[in-house]
Amino acid sequence: MLEFSRVGYRFPGGDGVADLTFAVRPGEVVALIGLNGAGKTTLMRLGLGMLRAQRGEVRLFGHPLNRMPTESWARVGVLIETPLAYPELSVVENLRIASLLHHGSPGQPDQAMETWQLSALSRRRVRRLSLGNKQRVGLAAAMQHDPSLIILDEPTNALDPASVILLREQLLDRAENGAAVLVSSHHLDEVARIADRVLLINAGRLIGELDTTGPDLERTFFDRIRIDDDNRRLAEETV
Amino acid sequence: MSAAVRVEALKMLRSPVGAITAVTLVLGLCGLLIVITFGASSGQPQLMAKLGPAAAPDWAGLMAGAEQVVSVASLLACGVVVAWLFGREFADGTIVGLFALPVGRAPIAVAKLLVFLAWAVLVGLLLSVCVAVLGLVFGYGMPDSAVGESLLRLWLLTVLSGLLVIPVAWVATLTRSLLAAIGCTIGLVVIAQISALAGLDGWMPIAAPALWAIGSDPTVTGVQLLLVPVFGLVFAGLTVLAWARLQLRR
Repeated sequence: MLEFSRVGYRFPGGDGVADLTFAVRPGEVVALIGLNGAGKTTLMRLGLGMLRAQRGEVRLFGHPLNRMPTESWARVGVLIETPLAYPELSVVENLRIASLLHHGSPGQPDQAMETWQLSALSRRRVRRLSLGNKQRVGLAAAMQHDPSLIILDEPTNALDPASVILLREQLLDRAENGAAVLVSSHHLDEVARIADRVLLINAGRLIGELDTTGPDLERTFFDRIRIDDDNRRLAEETV
Repeated sequence: MSAAVRVEALKMLRSPVGAITAVTLVLGLCGLLIVITFGASSGQPQLMAKLGPAAAPDWAGLMAGAEQVVSVASLLACGVVVAWLFGREFADGTIVGLFALPVGRAPIAVAKLLVFLAWAVLVGLLLSVCVAVLGLVFGYGMPDSAVGESLLRLWLLTVLSGLLVIPVAWVATLTRSLLAAIGCTIGLVVIAQISALAGLDGWMPIAAPALWAIGSDPTVTGVQLLLVPVFGLVFAGLTVLAWARLQLRR
């Protein structure tokens, strides 16, 4: 559904990502974990056309991203950094415009508010919502049109424990029904609960998968990062 | 396209920016015209000299005052609204949500411009109606055809000002900055004033509508006025292209 083949992008300052190769298949939850600045958001932006790859190729639904029919984007649900929620609009108005922009059906906002427990806030303007509730509006907007591919960047940001469970159930349920899910997170325990595969990203490169069945996930994660940093430093010194 | 227009229209209707800017423009104009009229009634020679044709206690004086105020104020007001329409997506971070949609960014940019022009058309109409009401309240009698033409010119001046500030949308997109867009608005007003003072006349599109409406340069031709929509279309095209090719680099 989403395929990266040796994808690279370098920002003018020198940071960026390189040689990214992986795929997310239907019915699969793939998690992306890494430290701040490792390249998680850049990877997601490349997958969604927010950045154009300078090297390699991104394919979505079998098409190269630049040749994908525009209508196919209706099958994608996204929350990257800022929820699509305008402060001057109410919760229901925000969901209506998100549905319109995804070519959705008129009944979707009501159903989404029920699913994400937003019905009591439906008439409230987003500027008056807490961060967690605003995030739930963003998640509802990203998923109300029942997308085949879901890409979420740090979706548990500001969510309370009940909302985290709601999100987990939603993602697992949608994956069970055939959706492909790519999600980035700092919460290793949460990732271990939902992901079929966990990809490790460090300094702009994918450095392998993390075994989530081990006893001390945090330690394993940091060990992998440290080893990769050491190897890279050694390689740079050799050059 | 219709989905994008509906979305942008709702955002404009719900935001205080469009309404507050319109009210400020209308109340500001009416307030200034009232002050000018009462000031002129004192008959002080120095003040009368400063006010020029606007000091006359009749329709012609009222329209002269209105055209002078609107020629600058409408540029500022239209610039603020365009700056907000485009710059807010970057300032609020909502631009991220306008990617990965079956509605492309180019149609979204076109929708923003259409909603803005609809706003300018309505505000221009409101300004003309308010000036007409003010004239009636001042007891200048029923407007004749010449006054009607002046009121139409005032409306067109606001609409043309709307076309002149479209570069603000382009600047907001290139810089990803609301403040830079506001700066561009001020820059356009300054350029318009300098062009008029430098005697560039109607060949400078930014100054042409004001010179035509105020009547200080009766030689402004139809061709010169036609350059205004061409100017607006060129910058609209550049803005739509910039939105279509947009990338979210840091």
